[in-house]
Amino acid sequence: MGWEKRERGGSYYTRSKWVNGRVAREYVGGGMVGQLAARWDELERHRKEEEAARWREERERLERSAGFLHALAAVAEVLTRAHLLAEGCHRHKGEWRRLREST
Amino acid sequence: MKALKLSKEAKDKLTKLEELSDKAADGDKKARGELRRLLRESGSEVVREASELARIGQWALIKTAARGEALAEEALVIRLDMMRSEIAGPDPSPLEVLLAEKIVSVWMLTELLELLLSAQLTTELPKSQRMSHSFLKFYRGWQEQAHRRLLSAIRELARVRRLQSGVPSSQTNVQINLLKPDGG
Repeated sequence: MGWEKRERGGSYYTRSKWVNGRVAREYVGGGMVGQLAARWDELERHRKEEEAARWREERERLERSAGFLHALAAVAEVLTRAHLLAEGCHRHKGEWRRLREST
Repeated sequence: MKALKLSKEAKDKLTKLEELSDKAADGDKKARGELRRLLRESGSEVVREASELARIGQWALIKTAARGEALAEEALVIRLDMMRSEIAGPDPSPLEVLLAEKIVSVWMLTELLELLLSAQLTTELPKSQRMSHSFLKFYRGWQEQAHRRLLSAIRELARVRRLQSGVPSSQTNVQINLLKPDGG
């Protein structure tokens, strides 16, 4: 998006957009039309940036709140494994089984 | 909010337990005995610290879910207390206490995500507060992950109980009721 100088003088406001996987330039206009389109695009860009920042913040807040779950899961995993092994269990093909008592 | 972490002491104990578990899993009988001793000596301490961490974390999730409504906060605290004692059962072992805390914590997270998503799907929500499609997808992914975690935590507790009781799996029926009192 931006203003493009024309060879015979004056400026033209253009927008870039994706068309079939390629960047295509759309010629909007010069003078008042170009000015209005440029202002509109600027406001839209600003709105999108604000929205993205707000959701990023929300997402980070949620990740921070739930962060303790990683530590909790790690402790539970280590202790569960330790308890089962100490109680005489073993893992066979991913499944926990009780060891047969040796006679 | 400050990141909730375990103390260095608890982490060191966990590392030691992990090392001994590896040796015991390889058939080292001496390590198995040592593991039993270490669990007796410091297992409850680690569980206590992790449970404390879980409680603080649950409180943070409650605060987010209740959005400043004192009554909702109070109701969630009571709900979690009820769930905790119901899941841990009478006279639980330290490990059962920890696994019950884990289930309760993940349940709280799934509820919170459900709440956030439901709010997004109401038609009355102003356009300015609506999530973009990509954020909605992100939340949905989180929700699915939390749900998987919840099921795996329940399975973990059931497995520990089954193996501790020594009853073969085919004869064990472990039920953990996660439904709300009104049946919802």
